[in-house]
Amino acid sequence: MKSHDLRFYALTLLGLIVFPFAIHPIGGYPGLATQILIVAIAAVGFNLVLGYAGLLSYGQAAFYGIGSYVALLTVSKFFPSNPNFWLAILLAVAFVTAMAYVIGAFIVRLYGIYFGLVTLAIAQMLYFVVFQWRSLTQGADGLQGISAPSVPFGFASLDLGSSLPQVDLGPFGNLGDVHYWYPFVALVMLLVLAFMRTLTRSQFGEVLGAIRENEERSMFVGFDPARYKLAAFTIAGMLTGLSGALRGLYEGSTSPDSLTVDTSGSFVIFAVVGGLKTLFGPLLGTGLIMYLENVISAKTDAWRLIEGLIFVGVIVFLPGGILGSLRRKRKGGGPRDVLAGAVRTGPATDASVPRGVTR
Amino acid sequence: MEAGPSRTRASPKEAPAIDAFLAQLPGQLLDGFIRGLVYVAIALGLTIVFGMLRLVNFAHGAFYAIGAYVGLVVAEKLGLAAGLIAAPIAVALFAIVFDRVLLRRFYSKEPTSQILVTFGVAIVVQETLRLIFGGTTRTFPVPAALAGSFNLGFTQYPTYRLLFALGIVLLIIAVYLFIERTDYGLIVRAGVRDRTMVQLLGGNVKLASTIIFALGASLAGLVGAAASPIYSVDPNTGFSFLVPSFVVVVVGGLGSFWGAVLGGLLIGELQSVATLALPAASDVIIYVAMTLVLLIKPSGLLGESEMIRG
Repeated sequence: MKSHDLRFYALTLLGLIVFPFAIHPIGGYPGLATQILIVAIAAVGFNLVLGYAGLLSYGQAAFYGIGSYVALLTVSKFFPSNPNFWLAILLAVAFVTAMAYVIGAFIVRLYGIYFGLVTLAIAQMLYFVVFQWRSLTQGADGLQGISAPSVPFGFASLDLGSSLPQVDLGPFGNLGDVHYWYPFVALVMLLVLAFMRTLTRSQFGEVLGAIRENEERSMFVGFDPARYKLAAFTIAGMLTGLSGALRGLYEGSTSPDSLTVDTSGSFVIFAVVGGLKTLFGPLLGTGLIMYLENVISAKTDAWRLIEGLIFVGVIVFLPGGILGSLRRKRKGGGPRDVLAGAVRTGPATDASVPRGVTR
Repeated sequence: MEAGPSRTRASPKEAPAIDAFLAQLPGQLLDGFIRGLVYVAIALGLTIVFGMLRLVNFAHGAFYAIGAYVGLVVAEKLGLAAGLIAAPIAVALFAIVFDRVLLRRFYSKEPTSQILVTFGVAIVVQETLRLIFGGTTRTFPVPAALAGSFNLGFTQYPTYRLLFALGIVLLIIAVYLFIERTDYGLIVRAGVRDRTMVQLLGGNVKLASTIIFALGASLAGLVGAAASPIYSVDPNTGFSFLVPSFVVVVVGGLGSFWGAVLGGLLIGELQSVATLALPAASDVIIYVAMTLVLLIKPSGLLGESEMIRG
């Protein structure tokens, strides 16, 4: 393991351990930390689509919502006599991944602007399907009061809803306020981040960036943009399904609300505010917005307006999001991806043409 | 009511259901036509703005909602006619400010950030409307003079709805004439094909852009105000009309004038007939139609190559 890898794992782990206690003095609580990490899995995955591939999907809620339904139905309806936590997650992720692949195969070739419209419309269609299919989904009521089965680890099993031992931490609350859900989800988040880090630093990430910058040229260089976009869309769908499944099992309930345009919009807001094309940006954005929502919506019903204003403000004043802008200041800009730079239109490529060569 | 003797294949049990269906069909088709016209008007705004600015405007539904609320407030004080005048003006002003202050910064940026900023504005508008007017559903009563119904021979139909339909048809014709017959329309049509060339030839694309943006917006605003006696208004109205309108432009072909007209009427009728024939699927069916169109002809029924030309 190289030193920067070690640093990544050590610092991320430290951050995840400190997080639920660090937000205690500023009005947060461990349950919120758990929710933030669960939702952030979807936002981190979405970054692959919107950030790295430059595809504006307004339909992520479909994967999120259906992930939550499949996980809860697995527990309550498909295998009610012997509910298994891992099976619920596995079926949800597999189903949503397959769904993302099929939908993706059919839309990744669409002209960029159509993509947003069509993903939004497809999500809306699935929303109505879930809403109307009462025998399976219980319509508008959603699935309620389903307790997550305990998680088997080898011979032992653990009820994620049980609390950690009571230890007073002064201003940072009490260790006993934390349920086992948090370390579990934190571990998942660490794995997701490590996966995304490897993926975006690989050749796959480079090619994706090149396609984003100039699809035509990357095609001339010999890459098939549709295949790369489909892979990005499918992986993002997979992570969104995982996020939805965890959310469903954590809450023990889900409803058609999880598939609405608003939910899809939230993922866009989280990822953009935190910073696209940065590993931690979507996590930061999710944390910041969900924390502010928790604090502000208790005081005023104007929260959604404030959220909209923050979003517009970030797009106008901090293009690249919070982390993207910080990084640009620190490093003074400059793309790391060589391939993306090579296919980008503009001065960089013009310079490679010798001056004064005219016929 | 006749039992429909010619329908020998229908079992006796089904026959009354079919009769009830046929009895309601004309009214439902008219409802679908009117809903379709609303979609046409909204989709036309989306499509001409897309044609001119290469911008997909997620705030376009917000224009409809602003128009509806301004129309409602003014109409309650000064009557419906005043509301119908105030709404498009207010929305056009809003659109001009939006374009000059915010959107202009994004003209040269990639389409994604343009869409994002319009999405942000859509949220801000929706939530501002919610704070001002509350979350409740509102509707404006049809003025007494127009409240009756009109005998069309095959069915009785509310007079206001008929006038509304007539008004929108006239509006659509006006937009068509504007694009086809005026100098600005010429710049628009040329700008759709080659924006840079129009600028090189001295066409004021910037001004034309703003005019087109405001025109598309006020069209949505006017329809929003005029429709408030027909469809109730709440803060989410913007999005609930925007999403079907996206379906309309995808089905018809984004950027195509006649595509928006055809797509709008098709989607409106489909939704309306499905409400009667297949209620459970009435919400889903338009998306199924969109999927089919995308599979068969990804550029939409009258898409792309035709653009705004008639």
